[in-house]
Amino acid sequence: MKRLPIMNRIKKQMKKLLIYSSLAAVIPTLFSGCATRGRVITTGGNESIVSVDQVNIQDYMQAAETMINSLLESDALDRVPNPPALMAISRVENRTGVQVETDLLTKKIRIALNKSGKVITRMNFGVGADGKPLTEDPAGKVIDDLGQFGSDAKTTRLPDFTLSGKIIQTRARAGNTHQSTFSFQLSLARGNNAVWEDEKEITKQGSRSAVGF
Amino acid sequence: MKNQIVQTACGFGLLVGLASICGCGTPMNSVERAQPAGQREMVDDKRVLTDASLDVRARIVGVNQAVTAGGLLKVQVELFNKSRYQKRFNYLWEWFDQAGMQVTTPATDVLIPVVIEGKESRFISGVAPNPRCNDFRLKLIRGK
Repeated sequence: MKRLPIMNRIKKQMKKLLIYSSLAAVIPTLFSGCATRGRVITTGGNESIVSVDQVNIQDYMQAAETMINSLLESDALDRVPNPPALMAISRVENRTGVQVETDLLTKKIRIALNKSGKVITRMNFGVGADGKPLTEDPAGKVIDDLGQFGSDAKTTRLPDFTLSGKIIQTRARAGNTHQSTFSFQLSLARGNNAVWEDEKEITKQGSRSAVGF
Repeated sequence: MKNQIVQTACGFGLLVGLASICGCGTPMNSVERAQPAGQREMVDDKRVLTDASLDVRARIVGVNQAVTAGGLLKVQVELFNKSRYQKRFNYLWEWFDQAGMQVTTPATDVLIPVVIEGKESRFISGVAPNPRCNDFRLKLIRGK
C-alpha cells in the first residue's frame, strides 16, 4: 500500500524530467531561428548595416560612384597635352567626429579612372594624412630615383592634376532621433585652379543602427 | 447604436493602420517647358519585370542615351512613382563591352538608394566606365 505513492512520485518526477528535457531541447531551437548567424553578404548591398553616426562601407561606395561618374562625364581629364592624364592624390581631410579611412574613397576613384584609360595615378607623390611625404610604393620610388640618376633628362613629368577633398559631418538631433549628413567634397586641380569639383551628401537618420536600406 | 460606434471606430482604425503601412502621402506637382528645347535620343529597351509592386513605385518611363565629351556612353532612365506615397528603391548599373563581357569598376555594382515621392518622376543616370562599353543593364530593387 505504501509503495503506490512512491511510484506515483517517481512517475511524476519522470514526467517533469521529460517535460524539462524536451523544453531544453526545443527552446534553443526556437531562439536560434531568431538570432542571426554569421553569413557573407554583398558588400554595400541592401542587407548592410546602416549606422547613423558612422561612415559605412556603402557610403564610401556611393560617394565614389557619384564622383567617378561626375569626373568621367566632365571632359576635364581629356584636356591634357599628352593623354592619359597624370594625377596625384593630395590630402582628403577628415572633418567628421569619427575615424575615416580616406583610401576607401580615393582608391575606388583611382581604380575606376585607371580602368577608364583616361588617367594614370602618380604614386609616391604628395602628402599623407600625417603630413609626411607619401610613399605608397618604396620599391617603385627607388627604381624611379635610379632611372632619373642614370639618365640625362633631369626633369620628370609633373602631374597634370591633383585630387583633394574633405569629408564633413553635420549632426542634428530631435529627441531620440539622430541625424548625420556626411558631405564628400572633392576637387581636381591644375596647380591652384580647380578644373572639376563635386559634392555628394549622404544623410542618415534614426535612433539606432539598423540592417538594410 | 453601440455596435455602429464600435464598427465605425474599427473602420477608422483600419484606415489609419493601412495609411501607416503604406507610408507618408506626399504626391508631387511639377512644371516644365511645354516644348522641350533638347531632343532625347531614346533607346529601344527590353524590360524584365518580376516585381509588380516595384513596377508601381518605380515605373520605367523611358531610356535615353548620349555620348560625353570624353567619348563615354551616358544613359538616363526616367522613373515614375505611380502611387501617392513616398517609396524607396535601389538601383545599380551593369556595363558590357563590345564582346558582351561585363566590365566592373568600383563605380559599377554599387547599390544606390533612392527615395521617390508620390507621383514623382525622377531621372537616374550612369556613365560607362570606359569608351569600349556600349551596352548596359539597369537593375532596380525594392528598398527596405
